[in-house]
Amino acid sequence: MALEDYRDDCTDCSRCSYCKWIPLDHIKSARFARACPSIEYCGFQAYSLGGRLSVGLSLLEGRISYNDELKNIVWECQLDGACDVSDKICRYNIRGLEAMREMRFKLVEDGQTLPRHRPYIDSLHKEKNMMMEPKTKRGKWAERLDIKDLTREKAAVVFHAGCRYSYDKKLQKKARTTVTLLRDAGVDIGIMGENESCCGGRAYQWGYRKELDAFARKNARPWTDAGVKTVVTPCAECYHTFKRLYPEIGFTFEVVHVVEYMDRLIKRGKMKLTRSVPLTVTYHDPCHLGRLGEPYVPWQGTREKIYGQIPVWKPSRPRYTGARGVYDAPRNVLKIIPGLTLVEMERTKEYAWCCGAGGGVLEAYPDFAAWTAAQRLTEARATSAEAIVSACPWCERNFADTAKGQDEKIKVYDVVDLVQMAL
Amino acid sequence: MALSRDVYCALEDIVGPRYISEDPAVMDSYAYQWLAETVRPNQSKFMPRPEAALLPGNTKEVQAIVKICNKYKIRFKAYSTGWYFYGAPFSEGVIQLDMRRLDRVLEIDEKNMFAVIEPYAIAGVVQAEVMKRGLNCTVTGAGASCSTLVGATCYHGSGGTSIYTGELRENLLGAEWVMPNGEVLRTGSLGSGCGWFCAEGPGPSMRGIVRGALGARGGMGVYTKCAVKLSPWPGPAEYPIEGTVPAYRSPMPSNFRAYTVAFKDWDSLFESYYRIYDNEIAYYAHRQWTMLGADLGPAFWMLYQDPTKSLDDIEEFVRKREVRQVTDEMRYSYQLVLVGMSQRDIEYKEKVLEQILKETGGWKVKKWLEPEMEQFSLLYLLRLGKKNLNFVYTGGWIGNYMQSGTPDFVNKYEPLAEDTTEKFQATGLMVDCGSDSMMGCVGSIAGGGQCGLEQFGFYDVADKKSTAAAIEWMKYCIKEEAKHNIPPGKEGMYLAVGKTHEELQRDLAKQPATHTWQRKIKEAFDPNNLGDRLYPTLDER
Repeated sequence: MALEDYRDDCTDCSRCSYCKWIPLDHIKSARFARACPSIEYCGFQAYSLGGRLSVGLSLLEGRISYNDELKNIVWECQLDGACDVSDKICRYNIRGLEAMREMRFKLVEDGQTLPRHRPYIDSLHKEKNMMMEPKTKRGKWAERLDIKDLTREKAAVVFHAGCRYSYDKKLQKKARTTVTLLRDAGVDIGIMGENESCCGGRAYQWGYRKELDAFARKNARPWTDAGVKTVVTPCAECYHTFKRLYPEIGFTFEVVHVVEYMDRLIKRGKMKLTRSVPLTVTYHDPCHLGRLGEPYVPWQGTREKIYGQIPVWKPSRPRYTGARGVYDAPRNVLKIIPGLTLVEMERTKEYAWCCGAGGGVLEAYPDFAAWTAAQRLTEARATSAEAIVSACPWCERNFADTAKGQDEKIKVYDVVDLVQMAL
Repeated sequence: MALSRDVYCALEDIVGPRYISEDPAVMDSYAYQWLAETVRPNQSKFMPRPEAALLPGNTKEVQAIVKICNKYKIRFKAYSTGWYFYGAPFSEGVIQLDMRRLDRVLEIDEKNMFAVIEPYAIAGVVQAEVMKRGLNCTVTGAGASCSTLVGATCYHGSGGTSIYTGELRENLLGAEWVMPNGEVLRTGSLGSGCGWFCAEGPGPSMRGIVRGALGARGGMGVYTKCAVKLSPWPGPAEYPIEGTVPAYRSPMPSNFRAYTVAFKDWDSLFESYYRIYDNEIAYYAHRQWTMLGADLGPAFWMLYQDPTKSLDDIEEFVRKREVRQVTDEMRYSYQLVLVGMSQRDIEYKEKVLEQILKETGGWKVKKWLEPEMEQFSLLYLLRLGKKNLNFVYTGGWIGNYMQSGTPDFVNKYEPLAEDTTEKFQATGLMVDCGSDSMMGCVGSIAGGGQCGLEQFGFYDVADKKSTAAAIEWMKYCIKEEAKHNIPPGKEGMYLAVGKTHEELQRDLAKQPATHTWQRKIKEAFDPNNLGDRLYPTLDER
């Protein structure tokens, strides 16, 4: 694909501004009605989905050329997809999120990269991770853990920790806990250790298209060799990459997020949560597990016009509306914990506000990432919850770092933390 | 023509560097507009690129910007949400004021039933806030994503509940207006320091002046605050939402009813309008579902309920026996929401509706009585949060006709609207969804008595031939209207851009004196002529 392939999507924007709001039917207050961190933080129309589509058209028509502002327009956005959900309420033929991603691909392919992203991409190429850490330390989180090493052994399930859990010292313990819980529940599970590679998904979101294919191969081959049928990950971004992006390039494994796996184990009686956790919590839907966590649907088609001028796809093109994301599993797990009360924020599920860490924003625009997280923490506090719970290490890290600097405290957990407390 | 550095720095000093830009990409995001392709050379999607865009944060900043514009003779244009090409510059050398930082619902006076709002408070937000206090506002026909203040101050602002909640121009109370010369005028009771409760006084009544014949649409200064009248809302404090995205729906409270009512012909349908007015039973009354075409619309609404289906599947739905039946059943139809202030009240209204249907030979369309369709209908109609489905076919539509008047008057132009549309649909260059894709209020002002039908014509915005056909359709409609002594509707305004005064006089002004007087007003209030032509004026000659 090329940006030219999205010309009609750019031209079709009706400038309605739905992309800036949560689905209008769901608005409950002025305070939490907004959907798009980018335009809320940056202000100008160009920093919305609609604005970016017009900028895309302007680029295609040669009306503008590359400069720093254009790079900001393209990258000062988490690509969280909230805009796309709202837009598709009415305009579900517009591929807004894809068009914005395609603009990134184009800029990177034209050599117009963000300097702040460069070290991370170099790290990815050299050290196979997005944390700028040595490859040799990737397996350290699992040292002395009694778990199958899938470079030497076989297992039905591979636990893919992901870059953040592998290297973030404050979060590593959760990866250990998770894989141990699964093993203890009788799951035939193993890890790749030092040989695990980045999924390539974050780089792909940043505009580095080719990296995805390379890292998909790097991960999938050893999984196949180890007899893996199911990939389990505690990281929402990895989940999205494996579930939605890898199948596009031909790799098919069953992909399950840890919260889904735990939900299954609880339902089958393999995991029992018996200890009381007297907390009121609110659950934050990670974008890549929720609205962007819909499974890939294989499709190829051609465009034609019916009834004179209605452009349609034959056969019907799959719809990605956010409806089929993973929303129930984490809530099921939380609701079964004795003593725990789950309260919902105003913006949930397919129209949840982003944590701020995605799309390369955390690395290139840290103030914007922190501002976005702060908005979410405010929303969480408005529910009277004592803690915000997520299911992604990127969300957790950004929330925890932002919360540290705030006067009014709120605890930050992963679902796994609460499960561990309840066991 | 870039702004001089002096001017840029003066503007930057007002809003700060974060809130001003002249970057070409940022400017093109303001220039891009729906319908630009109908009025711009080569059917470009871009209106003239603004020289700079500013995001003022308060009235004082707006006033300072307008004063700088007067000092340096720079044209300016403010918009709220930016939907519709009216909001964009109409010529080179204009600066764009994006009002999105002025987004608050400042006050809700429950006792006196009004809300004070800023320009970027969209209808969905205003409604959500006032519902908590047992009140409701008019959501303009353009939907929940549009500014309530704009509907009240700069355009008609009628919507499906107007028959009960009023048209927003009726609902305008006190307002704060930065006049084109940079002075701030507080209108109505606000101008006498008495609060926001009245548009006409004690204090200066400026409604007719600033609005002109149709609303100045950004061509006559900037509104920074206004109060709008609210109406009772005997429903939930917030809509409980069920269903799967995008087909959200809301359970029906026991004192609510949502119907699609249909008739055997147009005469019966319009007769029912009169009876609805006489009996004052409607909370919402609007012809909505037919906007997607009487032939194709029902199929679309039914497929929309299935999250696995899309527009790509519409042919399959059109062929279904059930859909064909529903299409026939609701050919001459409109939507009604009845709301009881008590259980007895809803029972009474229900009985009255039954009697009206009996007397006019009408019926309730069965498909829309199914619980899920009913709940979808209720939420769609009252929040109007999916209104931009009118773009779903092609990304482009134009609305022709839409002259407001009595039901008898509207009935008179309905056949013409169908004939002129059918002719163009037959070319294959516009969507053939049936010659009736007419939408409009059953009662566009409080209490009813006035209604309208807007005939939608859908064209593929990415196809220049299709777009050209739509433009020709507009022109053809205007000619045919003139032949039948029907004044031009909205299409006249589309054509106003770039039209000569002679053409405007011929096409728009049945009574040119109206626009000549508006010119005098414009000269008085905008001595440097910094607004644009959307406050329509004619030369005296």
